[in-house]
Amino acid sequence: MDNGMESMLDTYLYETNSLLDRLDEMLVADEETEDFSTDDVNEIFRIMHTIKGSSAMMEFGSLSTIAHRIEDLFFYIRDKGISSLAHEHRKELFNLMFRSEDQLRGEVAKVESGSPLSENIDEFTAEIEGFLAKISGNGDSSQDEASTAGASGQTAAEDDSALPDDPQAACFIHIFLEEGVGMENLRAYMIVNALKEVGADFRYYPANMDTDSGTCQTIIENGFFLAFDSQENTSMAEDILKTQNHIHSYEIVEPAAKETAQPEAEAPAALPEQPVSAPAAKEAPAPKQESGAAAPASHAPVKQSLISVNLSKLDSLVDIVGEIVITESMVTASPELSHLPRDSYDNFMQSARQLRKLTDDLQDISMSLRMVPISGVFQKMNRIVRDMKQKLNKDVRLTVIGENTEVDKTIIDSIQDPIMHIVRNSMDHGIEETAAERIAAGKDPQGELILSASHSSSEVVISISDDGYGMDAGKLLAKAREKGLLTKPESEYSQKEALGLIMLPGFSTNQTVTEYSGRGVGMDVVKKNIEAVGGTVSLTSELGVGTTITMSIPLTLAIVTGMKVTVGNSIFTIPISNIRQSFKVRNEEVVLDECGHEMVDRMGTFYPIIRLHRFYNLDTEITSIEDGILLWVEASDRSYCLFVDDLIDEQQVVVKSLPSFFNEFGLKNAGITGCTILGDGNISIILDILTLYMAAIETI
Amino acid sequence: MSNQEETLVQNVQDFGESEGKQSIERCLTFESGGLVMFLSTEYVTEIINDYPITPIPLVPSFIKGVINVRGRIFPALDIRLCMGMPQLEYTNKTCIIMLNIDSTVLGIVVDSVQKVMDIDLNQVHPIPIKRRQKLLDGMVTVEDGRVLMSFDYKALASGQYN
Repeated sequence: MDNGMESMLDTYLYETNSLLDRLDEMLVADEETEDFSTDDVNEIFRIMHTIKGSSAMMEFGSLSTIAHRIEDLFFYIRDKGISSLAHEHRKELFNLMFRSEDQLRGEVAKVESGSPLSENIDEFTAEIEGFLAKISGNGDSSQDEASTAGASGQTAAEDDSALPDDPQAACFIHIFLEEGVGMENLRAYMIVNALKEVGADFRYYPANMDTDSGTCQTIIENGFFLAFDSQENTSMAEDILKTQNHIHSYEIVEPAAKETAQPEAEAPAALPEQPVSAPAAKEAPAPKQESGAAAPASHAPVKQSLISVNLSKLDSLVDIVGEIVITESMVTASPELSHLPRDSYDNFMQSARQLRKLTDDLQDISMSLRMVPISGVFQKMNRIVRDMKQKLNKDVRLTVIGENTEVDKTIIDSIQDPIMHIVRNSMDHGIEETAAERIAAGKDPQGELILSASHSSSEVVISISDDGYGMDAGKLLAKAREKGLLTKPESEYSQKEALGLIMLPGFSTNQTVTEYSGRGVGMDVVKKNIEAVGGTVSLTSELGVGTTITMSIPLTLAIVTGMKVTVGNSIFTIPISNIRQSFKVRNEEVVLDECGHEMVDRMGTFYPIIRLHRFYNLDTEITSIEDGILLWVEASDRSYCLFVDDLIDEQQVVVKSLPSFFNEFGLKNAGITGCTILGDGNISIILDILTLYMAAIETI
Repeated sequence: MSNQEETLVQNVQDFGESEGKQSIERCLTFESGGLVMFLSTEYVTEIINDYPITPIPLVPSFIKGVINVRGRIFPALDIRLCMGMPQLEYTNKTCIIMLNIDSTVLGIVVDSVQKVMDIDLNQVHPIPIKRRQKLLDGMVTVEDGRVLMSFDYKALASGQYN
């Protein structure tokens, strides 16, 4: 509609997603111990309450309904304590909660993509309600109150208009719930609770409505009663009732009416019950009060030390900081300064150094703003492992190392799918099918999957290793031959190269397609995704021991340490991480193939030479290989030499994308990823070593 | 209700007026390759000269490259080359006109900038020659008898032209 609505939607999505993440984290952690702590129950209740409220506000009915049902469920659990749940129920509860989370996430995804929400969620909500009915029903039978409940139900059924026997009551409120809301006894109890929270003093009938699902029918047919000692309390309660959901109608019944009603009712059958239920009602407020007090306390906003910021604002901040850094060096390196008298120059330089230090700090901080810990991604893997463990019936433990490693936000987004894919692969194909198989191989019957992240100079290294079958290079080769993916005789493949075959498009070692992996898209997609963010993937595996897949990804895309090189009048920047060596060669060292392509020997292997001036059609005076300089560069598994005029120096540069005007010219596929503004205001083109190779060598 | 009617009447009147004799627009006139062209000042953000242009490889020659305007990078196109004319040495008269066309910002290199003048858009006639190039989309004779060409900025920004 307008910006207001949109930013509200943004906030809603952000909030709901973080709540669901939090929920996921708790569920996975709690499932390990098969227990919810009281805090967690409270928190889940609160999460659902928030989702319910905000979804209702945004008019996302399905989300609100599901959250509402779970809120009801956890209201009950919070009230009764998790310990009241039987073991098998707990298991079911966890499964139900995981599925609810998925359902909620599914709906949120629909909101995000703008597609219509599911309309038919009845089946799912019915399931939650069914579960609630089951656990609440169970609770009763154990307490053996069912019989009394049945009796009270009967008595009430015998006489519709019967008021409960409560001689002290000055006033009754007779409440009917909406038809078909389900779990009437609990809803009634929630209303009772809401009243208690405001401190109203009253009794309610049937008194065992919270513990006995049998009272359900009674409440549906006859409604339920609240008994008050004074008129003030009654009117106060009336105000509360007006704010409660699911109330169809209520009426205030004066005691006078009771007097007339009672003789008619002749309810001696009800009488013996009252003493039982009255103390029960008296007892109840105490713990209620407690939980009532606990709830507001936990509702109180936790002091937030985090704020959420629009990523585009951060991007422009980083941009501006980059400009400041460059401008600062322009000012301090200005040639005009040499005209200053000695004293003033020294003074100036002193201030300039101060400024440089501050701008460096500023740059560091602004870069760190974009860094987020990788734990969010790892957390999701926890969930995947958990689900697959159950589905595949394999016992695997996931060990996470270095989850606090920080990575640029944009990188986080693009590594999630690759990691997920690898984890699924490992679970599905890596780990042995059965524990017996593992024992036979002399391994721990429980499989292990290790997810680790760590920093190395300018890269973050993420590795995923399993201790499963390991890969058989021979099998991979055979498979590749079958698919016609081999490019040279089989015997010439090294172990590393053979393993690398798995990353070729159209290679999948699994014969059958399973739910989790083997859809024909495989490691090649992982490789492509990682390369898209400037990273590399490598794979090591030993047959019978396990497989490790390692991804090295640059820490940030926004700043690159680059080597500036000249070709004619142009200045290019080559990421320093791609450069292995720079060297001069003599003419006789260059070897030509039959088409005149140049190659040069480096440490026993020949590498092709790409002349930048030729590839980009640039005018330069330096065309003889002896005058210029060769840069030995490497990206992913491609290695070659670039011929340039000269090297200038090494510099940190802020990466800017080219104006979108250039999109149609496909420069990205020709090795030009972006540009940067140099200290003197000139623009330098940043080269991508990998795509340059593809464009220059593979298209020949 | 009556308010709505009023605006409706207003609209009709406006419409009638624009159908009438005059639709004055402030335009910038500039010269490139011997042609004098004009373009609504609405799209002009600034005029700069004596500016270094960084060439970008592998693009058509009329795209001279990119320029850095206060830390932002924009493409620069040479109008002469767009029209298939030979490249001229850039002089101190050579200007880059920065345009913002539907939030596409780009610079056009022209031989010289002349002045800002009012042009009645209703006097602009189509060019009576079938052409392949679509850099110009009309012509107009101004008071002093000169003929000015209407510069088709939209074709330029949308990149249809190359």
